[in-house]
Amino acid sequence: MCRSSRLGHYNFLKMRTFRRRLRLWRDSPDRPSGPKAIPPRRLSQIAAVILITSGLAGPAAAQSLPSEPIVFGDGHVTVGADVSATVSCAQTTGLGSCGDDTGFFNYSDYEYSTLRMFRVDVNAIVRASRSLAVVADVRSDNGEGPRPYALYVRLRPWSQYNLDINGGRVPPTFGAFPRRTYASDNLLIGYPLAYQYLTSLRADAVPANADELLRMRGRGWLSSFSIGNLTPERGVPLATAFRWDTGVQVHSGWAWGDATGAVTTGSLSDPQVSGDNLGKQVAGRFAFHPEPGLVLGVSAARGQFLSGGAARAVGAEGGNSDQTAIGADAEYSRGYYLVRFEAVRSMWTIPTIPQPLIATGGWIEGRYKFHPRFYAAARFDHLGFSSITGTTRTADWDAPVTRIELGGGFLLQRNLQLKASFQRNTREGGRVTNLNIGSAQLVFWF
Amino acid sequence: MTRGITFGIGLSLLWLTAVSPDAARNGSIRGRVEIRRAVASAAPRASLTDGGVLKAPDFTDRLRSVVYLETAPRAAFEQIDPAHAVMDQRNETFVPHLLAITTGTTVDFPNSDRIYHNVFSLSKTKTFDLGRYAAGRSQSVRFDRPGIVRVFCDIHSHMNAFILVFNHRFFDVTDADGRYHIDNIPPGTYNVIAWNEGLASEPRAASVPDGGSTELDFQLR
Repeated sequence: MCRSSRLGHYNFLKMRTFRRRLRLWRDSPDRPSGPKAIPPRRLSQIAAVILITSGLAGPAAAQSLPSEPIVFGDGHVTVGADVSATVSCAQTTGLGSCGDDTGFFNYSDYEYSTLRMFRVDVNAIVRASRSLAVVADVRSDNGEGPRPYALYVRLRPWSQYNLDINGGRVPPTFGAFPRRTYASDNLLIGYPLAYQYLTSLRADAVPANADELLRMRGRGWLSSFSIGNLTPERGVPLATAFRWDTGVQVHSGWAWGDATGAVTTGSLSDPQVSGDNLGKQVAGRFAFHPEPGLVLGVSAARGQFLSGGAARAVGAEGGNSDQTAIGADAEYSRGYYLVRFEAVRSMWTIPTIPQPLIATGGWIEGRYKFHPRFYAAARFDHLGFSSITGTTRTADWDAPVTRIELGGGFLLQRNLQLKASFQRNTREGGRVTNLNIGSAQLVFWF
Repeated sequence: MTRGITFGIGLSLLWLTAVSPDAARNGSIRGRVEIRRAVASAAPRASLTDGGVLKAPDFTDRLRSVVYLETAPRAAFEQIDPAHAVMDQRNETFVPHLLAITTGTTVDFPNSDRIYHNVFSLSKTKTFDLGRYAAGRSQSVRFDRPGIVRVFCDIHSHMNAFILVFNHRFFDVTDADGRYHIDNIPPGTYNVIAWNEGLASEPRAASVPDGGSTELDFQLR
């Protein structure tokens, strides 16, 4: 048996064992509740239902689904929705094979793949008066029960000034991408690594030393440490785009820019509904619009990262376990072009690791519309980590990841879009270091 | 010189024929369209991340209708001069929301907002995409085929409008009270249709008397 075949067989056995363990863990009562990845066949059926009910079946059916937000209550209530069905195939064994994302490159903070998902998102604004509104967003993933994604009160104290105060589970303050997380706003199907990829760090568990952290390189999807919560759990991204923080936010806008500031209970990596850590996060963003089509933004955030339990376990109740992040973003569009760039640099201070843990994510994406119905898009994305020194080696504290995604979209009708993309993921560590994934997504919104 | 005199005589004869007592005089159809169904609002999607308290949706534009002759007089298809019309983009709204034009008309789409807009249409009558352009700039589209064109903005999903393209000139857009007036119609009996936001009424017959006017009201449910 040649070396490559032996390695292939070894990897197969390793993967089989790994899958068996994963299945056992998934079935175990200790597993945190969260939506599961939905089978591709079921997703295809769901996509077909969307297609049929949204008008492709005939003119009569075309009238059955709304094309604009639903307004009722004498104009006081506006309801919109965003429904998406995503299927994907990872090239796991050879050309033409169709398997799971075994490298967990696209898993997000709810233990499911963003590339195998059926999502229903319903949002509403209840306008109580000219200065007060209640904003809500309820989301269901893979057919599971709806969860509140956002729920806050928006107050405009002075009608002549563009100044809003939001209180509750408020929109993200940091960065540009979290404002575009709906599938209908995303040029491609995958999400930028900085906002989605799970690093090995956890807010509720702490590595005892650098060696323990290095052992978890490339295993952010199921990370475990010896201090704090000992149950294997997902790690955190640099800044999550899938969960909103709770607190108070102030936003103001002018003709040439807008500014947002917030005080919230969680951190960028781990937003909270009710704070289980010992401090508050302060975040701010300023966006400059020097001319139409050009947006330049800077963001910063600092807050307590570790949960109360984990901080107490390492004697860091007084602080010294925070996350500090800075970000920069730019967008330029003209004619049929759109180009976006964003970089996020996050630094975590963990009491048991002498060096600060730094992660830097940066991506650039572009879109070109070459027909009223068609566009092509591409994104180059990289996530890198700082080095730490263990007893035997010095290495990046997590495995750097690079993703190239190419794809495009086709408008079946104004609010029904079919997207397709191809992803090339590479990682300098972990069980799976390379993975090609093809995916398709059907999006309907109103 | 001789050719000039001949042309002058010919023109005079034509005028005499036109004003002779035997010639039929054109009439008109007027009336009112009442909308008795729920009208879709122009409300934007409930934006979670943008600031601002959502302003109350404005329904008035959506109450305007087009009334037109289903079968126009034969002469109507002759000599339609190419024209220009304007559909502005102002306060994230197409103004007017409903535009009725004849074939061959060029519609200008100026951007009067400070932000970018991107006008496009996927309609079979005319598929186009004008790309993103800034305030003070305008792009134009010529409409050569009759039909209904739904217009959108790629950036602001709540922006939409209708352009109805006719191959004759016998149509009118109702005013804020729903009133319309189609004039200069040769005497005869015509089928008249009222249209609002994708809903067309059943054709109704109307007789235009010689030099007179006919009243015809519609109710759209």
